[in-house]
Amino acid sequence: MPMAELNVLVVFYSRYGEAEKLALAAGVGAIQMKANIRLRRLADLTDAATIGADARWKANLDRMNMDYVAPRPADPEWADLIVLAAPANAPREVEEYCRQLQATASMAGKMAAPLVPGGAADCYRRISAAATAAGFVLAPADPADGQHTDGARMYGRRASEAARAMKDQSSGSKRL
Amino acid sequence: MITLRKAEDRGHGDHGWLNSFHTFSFAAYRDPNHMGFRSLRVLNDDRVAPGKGFGAHGHRDMEILSYVLEGQLAHKDSMGEQHVLGPNEVQAMTAGTGVIHSEFNASPSEPVHFLQIWIVPQAQDLNPSYQQFAYDPAEKHGKLRLIAGPDAQAKPAAAVINQDARMYAAVVGRGESIGYALAAGRHSWVHCATGAITLNGQPLKEGDGAAISDERQLAIEGAGSHGGEFLLFDLA
Repeated sequence: MPMAELNVLVVFYSRYGEAEKLALAAGVGAIQMKANIRLRRLADLTDAATIGADARWKANLDRMNMDYVAPRPADPEWADLIVLAAPANAPREVEEYCRQLQATASMAGKMAAPLVPGGAADCYRRISAAATAAGFVLAPADPADGQHTDGARMYGRRASEAARAMKDQSSGSKRL
Repeated sequence: MITLRKAEDRGHGDHGWLNSFHTFSFAAYRDPNHMGFRSLRVLNDDRVAPGKGFGAHGHRDMEILSYVLEGQLAHKDSMGEQHVLGPNEVQAMTAGTGVIHSEFNASPSEPVHFLQIWIVPQAQDLNPSYQQFAYDPAEKHGKLRLIAGPDAQAKPAAAVINQDARMYAAVVGRGESIGYALAAGRHSWVHCATGAITLNGQPLKEGDGAAISDERQLAIEGAGSHGGEFLLFDLA
């Protein structure tokens, strides 16, 4: 039986590049599982003056604005799996994105994979709660997922595998 | 048999920051009669505005070559490679099991004009890798310079790709001629990158391509006012 097509949306918020690196690694893991991917960076909720006062943050922001676009309305509908990555101390942008999804469409039948540098428990819990409230099923997590890029890549693979299985099961149920 | 692919018949997308011509089907341009030739799958002729580029995106199972004609192209990828590529330099990336990369015009003021070539690899799930090398432009004046091929021991060095395919580049002045012997059963694609050339007497202008099968001897001659630059692919 041919493998089901899998669409993975990697949505991340990053200030200094750490969460970005994990998000990219998770994206590579998804490609390794033969998924189609889209990469999107969430805009800062912090005001421009605060960012401008932090040279490192500002430099990274300028670079990331070149490399990524913000999520588009059609992205979540396209996606079977959404990787949600955020810095350990800044889950607000991802939480807000989940709230927008919750308000606009049902994410039932889709999977979310929260990803946080160092696996920071509080941030992971907050993103997971927002994703669950939006209707997502959470991907099976492991403490190593956010520890390093290899862990994030493996997480991308594992989450893709789980999302594909869920999609197969769902389309199988519909056929019955 | 030589089958011409005229420049004006290619797919075309003008996105403001990107003006792109597709010799073969690519992105929104899809023509079942032009899905590639042998292992050559994509040949895009791209002009990118200053400071603009292709944001982060993924690839797998493809050999990707970038050949800059004018300007500077910045590359960054998930393998940690970060380079700027100019004319007389070549970049080759094996996407293999998967890479994410971005490509931008490295100049804030000058456009970049480059060709991006995709070759289908012999095997899937290869280890991703990146190569970049520079060569003396004299090596392609009046003669074919091997740019990429399967031989890791090639002299002078060329990018190693995982396919029985070779890509050569050459610049020919008006009236100057280069011959190429094609082995039995081999096929070739010639792409006129700039200027004008003739291929076994048939004129090719900038952007024109030609599929060649069942021919053993190719003669490429510089035409127009200054001759031209072209790529020649020797394909299984």
